[in-house]
Amino acid sequence: MTTPAVQRALDAAFRQEWGRVVATLIRRTGDWDLAEDCAQEAFTEALRRWPVDGVPQRPGAWLTTVAGNRAIDRLRRAARAAQLLDQAGHDPIGAGIDSEDPMEDLFAPTTEIEDDRLRLMFTCCHPALPLEGRVALTLRSLAGLSTAEIARAFLVPEATMAKRLTRTKAKIAAAGIPYRVPPAHLLPERTAGVLAVLYLMFNEGHSASSGTELIRAGLCDEAIRLGRALQQMLPGEPEVMAALALMLLHHSRRHARVGGDGELITLEEQDRGRWDKVKIHEGLRLLESALRRRQVGPYQLQAAIAACHARAGSAVDTDWREIAGLYALLEGQLPSPVVRLNRAVAVAMAGDIDAGLAIVDELSGDARLERYYLLEATRADLLRRRGDQAAAAAAYERALSRAPSEVERRYLLSRLQEVGTGSPASAIVITPIEADVSEHLPADP
Amino acid sequence: MKYVAFIGTEGEAAPEALAVMQRELPRWIEEMDGRGVRLLGRELAFPETAATVRVRDGETLVTDGPFAETKEFVAGFDLLECADLDEAIEVVATSPVSRFHPFEIRPFRDGLRMAAGASAFGRGDDSAGTPYLLTMWMGGTPAAPLDDEAVMREYDAWRQDAEARGRYILGNALGGPDTATTLRVRDGEMQLSDGPFIETKEFIAGIDVVSCADRQQAIELAAAHPIARYHAIEVRPFYSE
Repeated sequence: MTTPAVQRALDAAFRQEWGRVVATLIRRTGDWDLAEDCAQEAFTEALRRWPVDGVPQRPGAWLTTVAGNRAIDRLRRAARAAQLLDQAGHDPIGAGIDSEDPMEDLFAPTTEIEDDRLRLMFTCCHPALPLEGRVALTLRSLAGLSTAEIARAFLVPEATMAKRLTRTKAKIAAAGIPYRVPPAHLLPERTAGVLAVLYLMFNEGHSASSGTELIRAGLCDEAIRLGRALQQMLPGEPEVMAALALMLLHHSRRHARVGGDGELITLEEQDRGRWDKVKIHEGLRLLESALRRRQVGPYQLQAAIAACHARAGSAVDTDWREIAGLYALLEGQLPSPVVRLNRAVAVAMAGDIDAGLAIVDELSGDARLERYYLLEATRADLLRRRGDQAAAAAAYERALSRAPSEVERRYLLSRLQEVGTGSPASAIVITPIEADVSEHLPADP
Repeated sequence: MKYVAFIGTEGEAAPEALAVMQRELPRWIEEMDGRGVRLLGRELAFPETAATVRVRDGETLVTDGPFAETKEFVAGFDLLECADLDEAIEVVATSPVSRFHPFEIRPFRDGLRMAAGASAFGRGDDSAGTPYLLTMWMGGTPAAPLDDEAVMREYDAWRQDAEARGRYILGNALGGPDTATTLRVRDGEMQLSDGPFIETKEFIAGIDVVSCADRQQAIELAAAHPIARYHAIEVRPFYSE
């Protein structure tokens, strides 16, 4: 019988070791499917054996050994089948195996300093892979999510997700994408690519792009976990620390972001007592050590903005001038209309509503924001603050027609009602940080 | 691994781009050939000079012009031998051409076949005959005739026959469009994307370079290619001074 203690050990081992087992098997066999299958079998075996034999002292080593033995068995069988077919005069199948027994030293102990998961992470996030495939494969092979789970998280049929995973793995093999940590001259660029994938994963969980569920916290947790692993493997990289800090600071607000009826609660109206202090503390600490390295990057600036909110005891205490300045710096590094829109909000909140509206007006001609509901929602909010209720109502209507999910629609409707009845609306603002969540990614063709 | 790097263009290069490429290309070629990562490269004549060959019910159908009428087209290629995709990307990214033109990197699916005439072809020495590029086009699903063993045997026989007659230079089947990687420079920054640079339903499934006395002979050779029966072969001459 599985006792709660054994169950906890199994759960922990799965979370901590899945990626490592898969990563090691891929390095040693070069076969992604084999690696996943054998890792799965090792965990099944653990489920059977650990309740009887007890939890091994080093669960990770135990799992890697069991998975490795399974892989050897399978490769031996394939080699034997190939040999038999060969003798029968057929073309050999199960190619890639030498006639000598290659399995002897396949799993001989090695002194690997480098964590195999780092290789796996860089390979899954290779820029020559389709972006959706990078995210899916990272979740499958590193986080151990099943195809069905990933499909649910991205609201696509399981068969579609299975195809996406197969196609991504096929490209790695066919196009010769190396299984390695990139050399020094490629490392900064490729690390940024890994962070982009983790942040996309986080945002997919943080702000559902469609449907009624605003928070798919599981994806956020996975992204943070992988971010932590990356930070441990590449210690001292300020952008890695900052990306993790940014995710933690956003995630600290998850319980305060959505009301009892699933409605969106803006940053300004959130009950700050419900923010997760532990996450905030960890995020702030990481950000501080990142900033000490004095190599400013986009994740550090975004985390610094999130930190301004996290430090403010109440909405009115927010240092909007500081935030506006940080957005100006961020715009210098990531020239993007969404970053500029956020700057408009910060400028307005710092006291100059007209200047904020002027930036919004400038952005109206930008084709990239044509379908972006937050442009009109921001305009509406600033107009309302200026007391121009009729113009605000019209802008809310335009924003409504572009809102991506039910949660945002409900939020906008309630605002529209307030300006319609002239009721004294509580102070609101389109939360500037959350507005730019999907922005910091390489352009997806 | 062997790769082809197709050079994309929308037409004549701008004079200043041409000047940079002419100035810097020889050094890049010398360096990459020296490292053994570049096997050879050639420029093609414009698509107007192409013919498209199909065989249906035993009848050869020839149309003038390229197979795909796209704004962007293949202007030439380099053949690479690299340890992995990262090395191929690095080789292409350091080429002066990639500052002005997109590149599509595709792996050869079953290696690259090269006949005796390949090195002369690579040097631009066409004294033995006029080289033509036969491009295998396929459409619909990626499950193409090239996955069919019988077709592959026919393809082998076609190549052996052409080689026996001294007409075969190089080529083979390519990995499908799912294996392609496109490099483009945007705002001075190199960007990678998944997939071919020509976004059509049909795709390039393989290339063969043949050496012929004239265009008519190249068309006849294309008509004998098994892929002409399933889809189409585009016949295009190379650029020569």
